[in-house]
Amino acid sequence: MHRNQFRPGLIFVFVVLGLLIAVAFNTTSRLAEARPGRVSDLVDVVQSMEVQREELQNRLAELRSDLARLEREAADDSGVSKSFSRELDRVRQAAGLSAVTGPGIEIVLGDGSEVAPGADPNDYLIHDTDIAAVVNALFVGGAEAVEVNGERLVATTPIRCAGTTVLVNSARLGSPYIIKAIGDPAELERAVMDDEAASLLFDVYSSQYGLQVSMSKSSELEVTGYRGSLRPQYSVPANGGA
Amino acid sequence: MLALALALALGVTLGLLTNVTVPVAALTYLGVAVLAAIDACLGGVKASLEETFDDKIFISGFLTNTLMAAFIVFVGDRIGVRELYLAAVVAFGLRVFENLGTVRRLLFSRWGWE
Repeated sequence: MHRNQFRPGLIFVFVVLGLLIAVAFNTTSRLAEARPGRVSDLVDVVQSMEVQREELQNRLAELRSDLARLEREAADDSGVSKSFSRELDRVRQAAGLSAVTGPGIEIVLGDGSEVAPGADPNDYLIHDTDIAAVVNALFVGGAEAVEVNGERLVATTPIRCAGTTVLVNSARLGSPYIIKAIGDPAELERAVMDDEAASLLFDVYSSQYGLQVSMSKSSELEVTGYRGSLRPQYSVPANGGA
Repeated sequence: MLALALALALGVTLGLLTNVTVPVAALTYLGVAVLAAIDACLGGVKASLEETFDDKIFISGFLTNTLMAAFIVFVGDRIGVRELYLAAVVAFGLRVFENLGTVRRLLFSRWGWE
């Protein structure tokens, strides 16, 4: 081979080639770390915060029962405020903060198992609106306490769609949804079957789309208490709470 | 040969050290530019071995080829035929393998392996 056969121009283009390859490498590797990395980071953050929230909710429930016990003891000591303590228990129960038992019905709503070819998969799922319809029907039937998958419904409870899950209170729930309601079982069942949207689930959709729905009356049912926080930020009692 | 390998390594090192990136939208341009550079490099090596290498022709050929390729990609983007950049890719690809074959044969004859 001859010496000096490669001219500066050729050398220069080889440098350019190396540069271009390096730039392409930089760009694709940055893309790779930017895309799935960010998503999984966010998923991690959400999951760890959910664990944290769970712990805090349990702690809150603990503190609430401590508080109730202390109030009772204080009432016992003084003797005078027994009626006050009874009133407090009653209010707490009405607000949905304490677990309650009684007769009622249990409704299970589960997604359909197999999607027929060409069909809309959304038809085979239980949606937030389905749950809301059933819950509303139960309240129409005089339900006194309702929970969905262990989430007690209180005045501030939302039931809404959150991606592939349904959000009740601050918990993300998945199928099957077990709805427990305390009230007159016969009355509750009638209310559900009388409700247009709710009854469709049982009469039509269950057979048409294979939704796993069932309803059973029970003489003894337990509905859990609300575990989330109740901290009104804007609302204050009107007329001094009278 | 060693000088070319060193030049390539120098370019890669420079690029990695400066950590330059391009927007995602420009990745197609970058790909075509890389192909044009590979084509030019092999063409240059071939011309050198044939002893017909000329700096002016080489650099101007590299630049016009790259610009034309970029133009084809640009036009494809504008008229909604994204795949138009394949024309440049195929043309450069063919030439790369053609030149590679010629370079191989030239080296063999030079080293007296025929």
